[in-house]
Amino acid sequence: MRKPDGKIVLLGDMNVGKTSLLQRYMERRFPDTVSTVGGAFYLKQWRSYNISIWDTAGREQFHGLGSMYCRGATAVILIYDVNHPQSLLELEDRFLGLTDTASTDCLFAIVGNKVDLVEEPAAEDQRKDGRGPGVAGRGGGAPKAPRQVQPEDAAALYRKILKYKMLDEKDVPAAEQMCFETSAKTGHNVDLLFETLFDLVVPVISRQRAQGPPQTVDITSYKTPGQTPSGCCA
Amino acid sequence: MMSTKAFTLVSAVERELLVGDKEQGHIECVECCGKNLYVGTSDCIVYHFLLEERAQPAGTATFSATKQLHRHLGFRKPVSELRAASALNRLLVLCDNSITLVNMMSLEPVPSGARIKGAVALALNENPVSGDPFCVEVCIISVKRRTIQVFLVYEDRVQIVREVSTPEQPLAVAVDGHFLCLALTTQYIILNYNTGVAQDLFPYCSDEKRPIVKRIGRQEFLLAGPGGLGMFATVAGISQRAPVHWSENVIGAAICFPYVIALDNEFITVHSMLDQQQKQTLPFKEGHILQDFEDRKRRSFCCLLRTGDGLLQEHLQTGAELKASEPERNLLCSSSFVDCLHRVSQVKRGQWVMGLATGQVNSRGCKEMIEVTPRPGRIRVGGRVIVATSKGVYILVPLPLEKQIQDLLASRRVEEALVLAKGARRNIPKEKFQVMYRRILQQAGFIQFAQLQFLEAKELFRSGQLDVRELISLYPFLLPTSSSFTRSHPPLHEYADLNQLTQGDQEKMAKCKRFLMSYLNEVRSTEVANGYKEDIDTALLKLYAEADHDSLLDLLVTENSCLLTDSAAWLEKHKKYFALGLLYHYNNQDAAAVQLWVNIVNGDIHDSTRSDLYEYVVDFLTYSLDQELVWKYADWVLQKSEEVGVQVFTRRPLDEQQNSFNPDSIITCLKKYPKALVKYLEHLVIDRRLQKEEYHTHLALLYLDEVLQQRPGANSKGAEATETQAKLRHLLQKSDLYRVHFLIDRVRGADLPMESAILHGKLEEHEEALRILVHELQDFSAAEDYCLWRSEGRDPPYRQRLFHTLLAMYLQPGPSVPELAVAATDLLNHHAAEFDAAHVLQLLPGTWSVQLLRPFLTGAVRDSVHARRTTQVALGLAKSENLIYKYDKMKLKGSSVRLSDKKLCQMCQNPFREPVFVRYPNGGLVHTHCAAGRHTNPSPPGPGART
Ligand SMILES: Nc1nc2c(ncn2[C@@H]2O[C@H](COP(=O)(O)OP(=O)(O)OP(=O)(O)O)[C@@H](O)[C@H]2O)c(=O)[nH]1
Ligand SMILES: [Mg+2]
Repeated sequence: MRKPDGKIVLLGDMNVGKTSLLQRYMERRFPDTVSTVGGAFYLKQWRSYNISIWDTAGREQFHGLGSMYCRGATAVILIYDVNHPQSLLELEDRFLGLTDTASTDCLFAIVGNKVDLVEEPAAEDQRKDGRGPGVAGRGGGAPKAPRQVQPEDAAALYRKILKYKMLDEKDVPAAEQMCFETSAKTGHNVDLLFETLFDLVVPVISRQRAQGPPQTVDITSYKTPGQTPSGCCA
Repeated sequence: MMSTKAFTLVSAVERELLVGDKEQGHIECVECCGKNLYVGTSDCIVYHFLLEERAQPAGTATFSATKQLHRHLGFRKPVSELRAASALNRLLVLCDNSITLVNMMSLEPVPSGARIKGAVALALNENPVSGDPFCVEVCIISVKRRTIQVFLVYEDRVQIVREVSTPEQPLAVAVDGHFLCLALTTQYIILNYNTGVAQDLFPYCSDEKRPIVKRIGRQEFLLAGPGGLGMFATVAGISQRAPVHWSENVIGAAICFPYVIALDNEFITVHSMLDQQQKQTLPFKEGHILQDFEDRKRRSFCCLLRTGDGLLQEHLQTGAELKASEPERNLLCSSSFVDCLHRVSQVKRGQWVMGLATGQVNSRGCKEMIEVTPRPGRIRVGGRVIVATSKGVYILVPLPLEKQIQDLLASRRVEEALVLAKGARRNIPKEKFQVMYRRILQQAGFIQFAQLQFLEAKELFRSGQLDVRELISLYPFLLPTSSSFTRSHPPLHEYADLNQLTQGDQEKMAKCKRFLMSYLNEVRSTEVANGYKEDIDTALLKLYAEADHDSLLDLLVTENSCLLTDSAAWLEKHKKYFALGLLYHYNNQDAAAVQLWVNIVNGDIHDSTRSDLYEYVVDFLTYSLDQELVWKYADWVLQKSEEVGVQVFTRRPLDEQQNSFNPDSIITCLKKYPKALVKYLEHLVIDRRLQKEEYHTHLALLYLDEVLQQRPGANSKGAEATETQAKLRHLLQKSDLYRVHFLIDRVRGADLPMESAILHGKLEEHEEALRILVHELQDFSAAEDYCLWRSEGRDPPYRQRLFHTLLAMYLQPGPSVPELAVAATDLLNHHAAEFDAAHVLQLLPGTWSVQLLRPFLTGAVRDSVHARRTTQVALGLAKSENLIYKYDKMKLKGSSVRLSDKKLCQMCQNPFREPVFVRYPNGGLVHTHCAAGRHTNPSPPGPGART
């Protein structure tokens, strides 16, 4: 087995579509999935690097494994379901804490999946007085419904994460670049998501390579470049 | 999930062997080290068995255990763990919270009575930190709360090296180097006992489940996780493999690469670490111990032995299966080596000097063992997986990987077979692996092929470096009969041939053939083809021929290695005669090729590949270097078509038209074919411009004959007659080589006035020629053209003379013919410049009106005026030029020149001795003789000037 050069971890509540997104990207299909047990991973060759991508289990039962999966991660993709506001809240409440073990310069992306189920207030819908076409979606046969989570909510979470990580917005990619809305079902934005991330991860990997083994987050010695640790965590 | 057979379960120790009468004792723990099997029971007895493995033809093995001895340890407590330390010849026995050291063979406690007290559980460090091969590192969970202790155990003493406290009570421990992997009450952690740094792995609940902590290799552990997961974690706290999914109530796990084996109350399950899939389930009730003994790696040593004639180095392994690295140098048996080690005294770390009892290593004449150095390398001791119930011990015998892979392939599970094969890379020596892996790739390729998954098959064939002939041989009759190929044994697939594979399905068959075509076409120019180009190209030819494929011809006209006899028979069978001809040609049998094509053209055999085959043959002969062949078929091609056939001569490359293709031989040959002969002579005369009288005369005669022949029915073949006639006239006009008199004779009386005129013209008999034109033919424009033609390249007077002759003919005294007068005026008006106007005016009859000759007269007057004026201008210019010279002369003469001794000649720089001198227009004076020597203005004499 070739040792991966970098690690990307997918986190998010169960049923938001982590496995589906990954399968869509890696295998170019949208098969039936079963709720993930434990975790699974893929190796992706990107340029000269081997990047491992971990699909985690969203079920509460496996929550404890998250920290280990995130250890040393170069990037974390936080996924919610745009039709379930709760799944976005869970990201902050349950999943963000798991990323404490990730690499200090870990990148974050926030992904609202299943946009295909959202009834867009586009021309088509105005014509129809806002009533959805009623086509049963694949995920449990859900019909199209008005949008539950706004893109701004995701961007707000992104900024919160930066604050939590004590990162300066100027030092990291902007929220617009790191918040995605995808559909594993149609493939919408899926390649964009992963490939944007790979391109951002590659320089981080080469930097880490130059510096030696990846550091893990050590709260006691935690420092952001150009910033002295403030007393806010004490 | 389809299952794989990775293991078979065989019984090792039956219940009866465990002292039949004492019934309450049941198995608590087992240990296996080489052939030694130890069993500890609940009634405090340790048994020692010798395991004898017997290989069975089917690939599995059976085991028989013979009991060596058993010993009661003298407690009332069960024997809870056993660990062998073979390098020390010691067995570590955990019983009643105390670890005793006993001799591996006698099971006697060491005389020193060394022991570790207060241990709840123990783990041996398989990746020890110390370099000392004569001790083992043991880690224990202490009876003291939240305490782990690390000991070094020597053959008769123990030494504590570290005590670490843990954040919670530890329940299970495994160790690798400095890293402890611990199951605590609520979570798993990695603890570096050297630095004290702890790393959380993940939480679990010890109340609900018994934790499992198992070292599976360098710096990696396997842990029982939530939801029945088998989690992998490295000492860095990272997971590098996806978890395997067990049942919730797993009680033990073991590793036997590439499998993870788990035990619960009812089953033994086998998962692959390569793809995380469950591969096998074996029913096994009431099992409570599952242990692997595979990763017991022993250190190897390098011994320096002093022999009679010098030093000898040996690589040795410790442990029960002690051997020299090379089998024939089996110097030491295990017991003698262990005895040797007894005499070791440590000199410094990593180096021992030992005395050697004579007679122990003397098979090579060794006198002394000087040095034993532990080597960094470790040697894997063949291990096994053991499961036990409370009553019996069983061995899980792994099927050889190759057998497993073959089984997978047999059930068409290509993906899995390849994953397994790749995974086996590190367990099999490189060369052996490569051979095996290639073979598997090839087999997999054939499986894909049989499913018509050609893309996949191709890739597998390519990466497996398949001998293409294996594939070709599937197709009946494709390999040349002369091919020495035999299929590899054992066979790569189960198919006799394509018929069997496709079960006669014609469509599938066609698909397979198309695939082979494209595959062979792809590989034929790569290194895959090296050594069997003939086989490949011949097969390809056969496929193309059979499928009536266009590429057949491309194959044959480019470089190829098709075998002649085989291919010829095949092409004949498929009636590809044209292609067969190409094949003959490629094999330098042009005669056969042409004969075949001729037969096709003649309709003796049928092949419609080319509708223009006749032209093709002509072309072929044209460029053929085989002169004999060309002559042989010259008659045939000419008979078919004189015009086309003659091309074998006319289009022949020039340099070749010497030797037997000289014009005379060809002309002789063409005697019978007048049309061809004309074409050929035209070729010689017009294209090649051969300046040979015979050819020109011959051609002219042939034209003439034809013209004469066509005469009688002139009306019917009018157009053609003119065409030949035009050619004749053209030749007569342009050529200066033919025999004019000879032709005039032929023409005479033949009523060919124009031709006669031309011929007379050639003889400079202009009057006669013009007479014919003017009087016989009354073709005035022809007469005009004649004048132009004949005066081409001559001087103007000659030209004038010709025109005047014509004019004179028009104006001849006699019965006045009005046409002639018109012709005369036209001539004058059109060619005014060719006449001497003064002379013409005298000739013209006085009756002619000026108006009639206006163009001529205007031109003549203009010419005359123009001539006068230009003459005047020239005169004026000459006069003025003269004046300029006169002026210059006056100027020069106007001043005097004083000649003195000081004046030197500008040429020779000498003074003037005589009064005569030359003065140049620029004033320079020189001697007359100097001026004579140099007719230029004197320039200051250069270095090379004459003096
Ligand atoms: N309509 C629609 N359905 C989706 C999409 N992505 C996933 N689903 C469906 O949502 C369900 C859950 O998808 P999974 O990919 O298994 O979700 P998960 O996040 O991996 O869930 P866990 O493994 O339990 O954590 C499945 O029925 C999918 O078919 C999407 O983009 N659009
Ligand atoms: Mg999933």
